[in-house]
Amino acid sequence: MRKQRRGQIRIIEAFLAVLIIFSSLAISASLTTEHKTVESSDLASVGLQTLTKLDSDGSLGAYIDNGDWSGLRETLSLLLPEGVIFNLTVYDDEMRQINTEAIANGELNGQEVASIKYVCVSQNPNFKCYVVQLRLAVVK
Amino acid sequence: MVLLVLSAMTTTSSLLYPPISNSFGDEAFTRYGEIAKYILLNTGKPVDWGKNSQTVPEDFGLADADAADPYTLDVDKVSRLSGENLHVLSYAQIYTSLKIPDVSLRIEIKPLFETFVNLTATYEGEGETTYEFEVETMRSGVSVPAELRLYVVAENWLQNLGVHSSDGKICLNVTISKDVGGPALLVVLAKSRCNAKIVSFVAYAFAHNSQNPEAKGSFLKLSPLNHTLTVVPKNVDTTLTDVYALTFNYASTLEQTTSQNQSIAFAIPRLLDSSPTVLVATGWNSTRFFIEWTVYPQIPVAVGISPSESVSLADVYAYTFTVAINSAFYRCTVWIGGPKQ
Repeated sequence: MRKQRRGQIRIIEAFLAVLIIFSSLAISASLTTEHKTVESSDLASVGLQTLTKLDSDGSLGAYIDNGDWSGLRETLSLLLPEGVIFNLTVYDDEMRQINTEAIANGELNGQEVASIKYVCVSQNPNFKCYVVQLRLAVVK
Repeated sequence: MVLLVLSAMTTTSSLLYPPISNSFGDEAFTRYGEIAKYILLNTGKPVDWGKNSQTVPEDFGLADADAADPYTLDVDKVSRLSGENLHVLSYAQIYTSLKIPDVSLRIEIKPLFETFVNLTATYEGEGETTYEFEVETMRSGVSVPAELRLYVVAENWLQNLGVHSSDGKICLNVTISKDVGGPALLVVLAKSRCNAKIVSFVAYAFAHNSQNPEAKGSFLKLSPLNHTLTVVPKNVDTTLTDVYALTFNYASTLEQTTSQNQSIAFAIPRLLDSSPTVLVATGWNSTRFFIEWTVYPQIPVAVGISPSESVSLADVYAYTFTVAINSAFYRCTVWIGGPKQ
């Protein structure tokens, strides 16, 4: 008689345990999807869109033609979203670096880096073609 | 047995849940990103829905139909997102015309940097008063070097204070004769020194020979649309005196075009200036002089569901873009989220 009762208690225990596990799984699953606001991690797309917009009126080519590296750095600092580190390198059509100073707002150390290559044509009467490499990372 | 079941279930769920969740997340991120781009690259239907105050779009899109470059938004479509505009689209109208029932969204458009004005001192002179203002241009607490154009508006009085160069913070004195009635309004239009298309603005109302100015929108509702400013007084005994359009390089007095049913229309000039147009209206409410202002396009603007307040949304993704409106650059952020899976 006692042995039968012990068996019944074990079965009830097992059902209770399963119930607790399922409910905790269900609650934790719903908690992880709620209010999960994620900033865009598609940095390459953001960078390309920014360069395209800056190039739409020839500004990008004008900065490069004039060697206005600080102007280009300040413009990118304003155009790119907050919390994004960038490093831009400008090459001529033979892939020789032509920017004489760093066009960056921080060090890209250890973060996941997105890299974009963009071909820019100067609107000067003298045809010039530049390759712009923009590397981006999110500040950690 | 219980321990065995427990450990087996925990292991299974911990192994399976993250990949399932991530695959849904990646798919949603890509899909929502395409929706955000669609809103900014598509003109909507009809293509000029922003210009006509009575038109509710069949398809929602903010792009300028006449623009040659992508991510160029229509000044009127953007203005119709603002709650300050008489002809604002409701969130329900945006949601319906977007025709994607399983997403909620929020759109924010604002300048790429901010301009702040503080009145720091007042000096009473003989026949005139000098006000000392501190003007700051910054982004996230970092100073932005800028060129500043300042205007002061008071009763029958518009003064162009010229262009001032600022490294991010500048103190400026404004002297106004005591013969001029107030309150007065200081309008600051700022252009980044590194790129003239990166602009910002602020308007600061202050007492001059008058009591403190009332909050913005107390006397008039100003709604710019299709290069026409519609002015609707909030009280019957309101009369308008002057209406100005101020940009970085131009200032002009607006001409009244029509007046009907308590609303008065003024033509806004089409100025070729990479600058927002600050529209200032002055007038009398009974015996009290007032100044009201708005900007065309009506930014900053924020419309839609706030992701932090909504409890019914699952993952919400933010997409940031640089957009052009009237050839000036602004920051546009589109938040998109779906229902819980």
